[in-house]
Amino acid sequence: MGIIEYARTSIKENWSLFRRSRMGLLGLAILAFFAFLALLAPIPRLIDDMYHPMVGVDPEISYSTPPSLRHPMGTDFMGRDLLSQFLSGAQIAFAVGITAAVISVLIGTAIGLTSGYYGGKVDALLMRLADIVLVLPGLPFIIVIAAALGKMSIWIIVLLIALLGWPGVARVIRAQTLSLRERPFVEAARVAGAGDRRILLHHLAPNVLPLTFLYAALGVSGAILTEASLSFIGLGDPSVVSWGMMLQWAFTTGHTFRAPYWILPPGLAISLLSLSFYLVGRALEEIINPRLREP
Amino acid sequence: MYRYLLHRILQIAITMFLLIAMVFILFRVMPGDPASMVLDPKMPPEAKALMKKQLGLDEPIYSQFIIYMKNLLHGDLGRSFYYGRPVYDVIMERLPNTILLFTSATIISWGLGYALGKRIAWRRGTRFEHALTFMGLLFYSVFLPWFGLIMIWIFSYRLGLFPLGGMITPELWTAGGAGIIALVLDVLHHLALPLFVLTLLSFAGAMLLMRSSMLETLREDYILTARAKGLSEKVVRDKHAARNALLPMVTALALSLSFSMSGGVLTETVFSWPGLGKEIVSATLNYDYPLAQAAFIFLAAIVLMANLVADIIYAYLDPRIRY
Amino acid sequence: MKSLVFILLIALSFSPVYAQEKVYLRIGGQDEPKTLNIFKAGDKWSIEVIGWFFESLYTREPLTHKVIPWVAEDYPEFSDNVATIKIRKGITWNDGTPLTAHDVKFTADVILDFQIPRFYSDWEFVEKVEAVDDYTVKFYLKEGCTPLFLEGTLLSPIVQRNEWLPVVEEAKKKENPLKSLLEHQVERPRSAGPFVFSEWVKGSYVKIDARKDYWAKGKLIQGREIGPFYDGILFKIYGTTDAAVLALKKGEIDYISWTIDPGFVAELSKEESVTVTKSPGNGFYYLAFNVRKKPFSDLAFRQAVAYLVDKEFIVSRILQNYGEPAYTIVPPGNSFWHNNQTPRLGAGLSKEERIAKARDVLKSAGYSWDSAGNLLYPDGSRVEPFDILTPPADYDPLRAMSGMLIQEWLREIGVQATAKPTSFATIVQKVNTEQDFDAYILGWILGVDPDYMRVFFHTNQTMPEGYNPMGYSNPTYDALVDASARECDVEKRKELIFKAQEMIMQELPYVPLYFRDEIEAYNSATFTGWFEDLGGIGGSIIYLKPLSSEKPEKKGICGPIILLLTATLPLLLRRR
Repeated sequence: MGIIEYARTSIKENWSLFRRSRMGLLGLAILAFFAFLALLAPIPRLIDDMYHPMVGVDPEISYSTPPSLRHPMGTDFMGRDLLSQFLSGAQIAFAVGITAAVISVLIGTAIGLTSGYYGGKVDALLMRLADIVLVLPGLPFIIVIAAALGKMSIWIIVLLIALLGWPGVARVIRAQTLSLRERPFVEAARVAGAGDRRILLHHLAPNVLPLTFLYAALGVSGAILTEASLSFIGLGDPSVVSWGMMLQWAFTTGHTFRAPYWILPPGLAISLLSLSFYLVGRALEEIINPRLREP
Repeated sequence: MYRYLLHRILQIAITMFLLIAMVFILFRVMPGDPASMVLDPKMPPEAKALMKKQLGLDEPIYSQFIIYMKNLLHGDLGRSFYYGRPVYDVIMERLPNTILLFTSATIISWGLGYALGKRIAWRRGTRFEHALTFMGLLFYSVFLPWFGLIMIWIFSYRLGLFPLGGMITPELWTAGGAGIIALVLDVLHHLALPLFVLTLLSFAGAMLLMRSSMLETLREDYILTARAKGLSEKVVRDKHAARNALLPMVTALALSLSFSMSGGVLTETVFSWPGLGKEIVSATLNYDYPLAQAAFIFLAAIVLMANLVADIIYAYLDPRIRY
Repeated sequence: MKSLVFILLIALSFSPVYAQEKVYLRIGGQDEPKTLNIFKAGDKWSIEVIGWFFESLYTREPLTHKVIPWVAEDYPEFSDNVATIKIRKGITWNDGTPLTAHDVKFTADVILDFQIPRFYSDWEFVEKVEAVDDYTVKFYLKEGCTPLFLEGTLLSPIVQRNEWLPVVEEAKKKENPLKSLLEHQVERPRSAGPFVFSEWVKGSYVKIDARKDYWAKGKLIQGREIGPFYDGILFKIYGTTDAAVLALKKGEIDYISWTIDPGFVAELSKEESVTVTKSPGNGFYYLAFNVRKKPFSDLAFRQAVAYLVDKEFIVSRILQNYGEPAYTIVPPGNSFWHNNQTPRLGAGLSKEERIAKARDVLKSAGYSWDSAGNLLYPDGSRVEPFDILTPPADYDPLRAMSGMLIQEWLREIGVQATAKPTSFATIVQKVNTEQDFDAYILGWILGVDPDYMRVFFHTNQTMPEGYNPMGYSNPTYDALVDASARECDVEKRKELIFKAQEMIMQELPYVPLYFRDEIEAYNSATFTGWFEDLGGIGGSIIYLKPLSSEKPEKKGICGPIILLLTATLPLLLRRR
């Protein structure tokens, strides 16, 4: 059974379990809401040039204004539309969060599987590496590398977040693999003549898949918060309109305590979207670990 | 036990060495050079070259590294380019502040998480559990600088309950007449709001872990036995279940310390707290790599030490682990 | 639990009762000094503190920026290449010893021997300095008269010989004398100025005290009486502008010593006790090209860009009108040297007119466009896409934003430019060291003297690490500005500097973008005597007089209580 078929059936089976978790459903609802907003992002700039989130400005407004008919969420300090920025922020949040989480989970799973399956020196080496990455002070480290590269592109930020996120995943997957390795079905496969590659990809990987989903969900929140933090200290990518950047603009142009219509939505959105991924992650956890489920 | 300890310490030493090497190389491959940041841009090119030579920047990387490691083993971290002072002095001014804020925040949120976690596990499925879990997760996902600034506005500015930032009130300290208790209280007063915010934003981690751990424990036979013996609910919960569920929490303590310290730059910036996190960032942006390197090493060392202590406690507490 | 409450009660009974008899000027800063060593201090926060400890032979009068004698009794007397200066008697260091010609000579020797990076560029043309007697010094210049002597060299701070002699002797014995001198730790700098160092609690505050016996106290400059009229200055540190602004509103500080963003103005103006000031800035921001490379080597292309860049838009939107579009590089606040008759390409045009104008210029220079709208060189090849390096948002959000706008405007004429936010050090590396770049946006903070007109565009500054990384080279211009550095007649020099500004705006190695106003804020209920000057209101500090003494601030006790409650919460929960 390949990974994809496995995933399909397991999603079908688990959906009924997931539905029982009210918090999981709430998370999913919030997530769907923001996903919808993210899909709307390209629309405003089609309506009028002034709704371009980065370079479009209202020809008549050159300072921050509260919500109005023309600008349902108000305008920023130079007369740009906050709603279109907010929508673009949703798009970026998903792109950043999901890409970073998927990359780090892929790396973590690959390393965890390898480490757990082969054991010995490979294991020791990889786990030492994981230890190092785990004790690195995350945010300062990203800042150092970003400085080393000299450019603040959003994709470099995503990559860095991903490269720091894998050790947690690797450890759990390794532990899981260690116990799976001793199970009869792996032994059976080996007896049947399956090679290491086949056993890893076809027998072990599908069984750790649910765990990777869980970590991917949790990783998204971390990535979104990290991107916002980098933007807050001014190291974000200023050519991309993310929620973190919106807040940074508000902070640096002196609107922190003056423009609630500007400060509150992105801050709340960052929090709510990461909350939704945590909620979904927790519901997944209960499915994977039946002992956590309510009796 | 001693062999285990020895083994762990050796492991930490290797980890530290690799880490130092990695950080060292990273700072050397950065574009730009410290001479351009340390000195006035008006400086003539010849003077710049002279300066570079004097800072030892014209040596090849590996010999710089060997010199660095040698000095490090003698406890000499070098001099900060930017401050022109020994790096050790600069760090020692900041480190205690960082430790004060973040260890107290970690311990409090951990204690809170423990206390709440065991309760929500005990009363699982109730509205109490759902509400607390939801609240915990909600704060756990809050964007700290945003929340911190709002809290400062409400509590420090509007209500005037706390200072706007910093660690001490200069007017009080310079007056000279204030007693030691007044000074301690002054620091506590400044500590309160950042501590409150940090605790609020991080207790959910420990709480949820405690909950899971407690749920696992509650399935054990000895809990059933204890209940069957007719012991009161509270005794079973606190004496039997919670105590045994504590184990995984020990490791979590060390991890959450590292987590809160790495986000330190945000907290320290928002609350104007004179700590190490802010120093790392400014040292990095100023290309002051002796300082940035050392600050990195110190933070990592603290985290490694915390992990080691956690491991020892773990080994000590868990009857199943014998070395 | 009871014992805890008890301890708390005891503690609170000792609570601070600090009647503040002394009056301090409280300044909010973003950071603390890096060092108290005057030879090393190059950053704003260090200079802001130790700048008060050193006197100079001459000083600039506020507002007119004229150089006037200070420690010197009169203007220097020249004979051939030797300038003789008489020193005022009665100026003392805070250890009681007088400031003499020997201190001046010693300072000069240190700067010349060690080539102190911060000062040496002002001293290059000085041969040696001699102390004739205790109160007379002679400066021997390498060449003839230069305005830079009075406008630069003689404004350098004077250090005390007694304090530094042992340090200098020690440093000379070391392998790296300069490094050793710069790394010397100064704990309590000696002062001849109006304030003396008192206390520095690292990470929290610096305190300097007024000197009762300051020699210049009570003197009048332009009718303003020199102080200090209060007991000292307290420098406090705030991590964010927001915190500092709240502190100013609450009366915790008297002055924020950094430029605040226009967005704060509305909020601060509402506060009765707070006054917001707008002073002309002494700096400019610009877009520069690598004129060694195509297409920037072509004047027509640079002109087209100058037409396209809507400086008025940037000033009105991004600067919120707190600034002026720049059509030269000498700020208008520096009124004596500012030439307002330079060519103003594109001024007042609408977006469509700008595009049309830019296209006209390019067309008449032989450029054309392909069917996709891409700009083609006269030989038919395509103008390659290029990067505009801009500082990242942490360094300056305004420039990062300007870069984005310029990128969009250039695309209107089929030039695929991309604004690349890049760390400051990387820009410096690429532009100054490697000279491998297309275009960049940076700014300069300037001095009053316009000698920068010579340095920024001179052919002899085109080497790596020089000031002319653009590679602009024009012998006529070089001759013009070289003459300006030798012209001691101020009016004649002004003519030369005006001509230079005009030439730069015709040749456009830089497209200057804007001059920024310095917005600052102070508490008008605590001190009086603030005035606006080029670069801000910081120059008024020495003239300030305290208003009524302040009531001690109320201290909340809720903080510690909440803290203790949080700390004991787990305990409380446990005891049930």
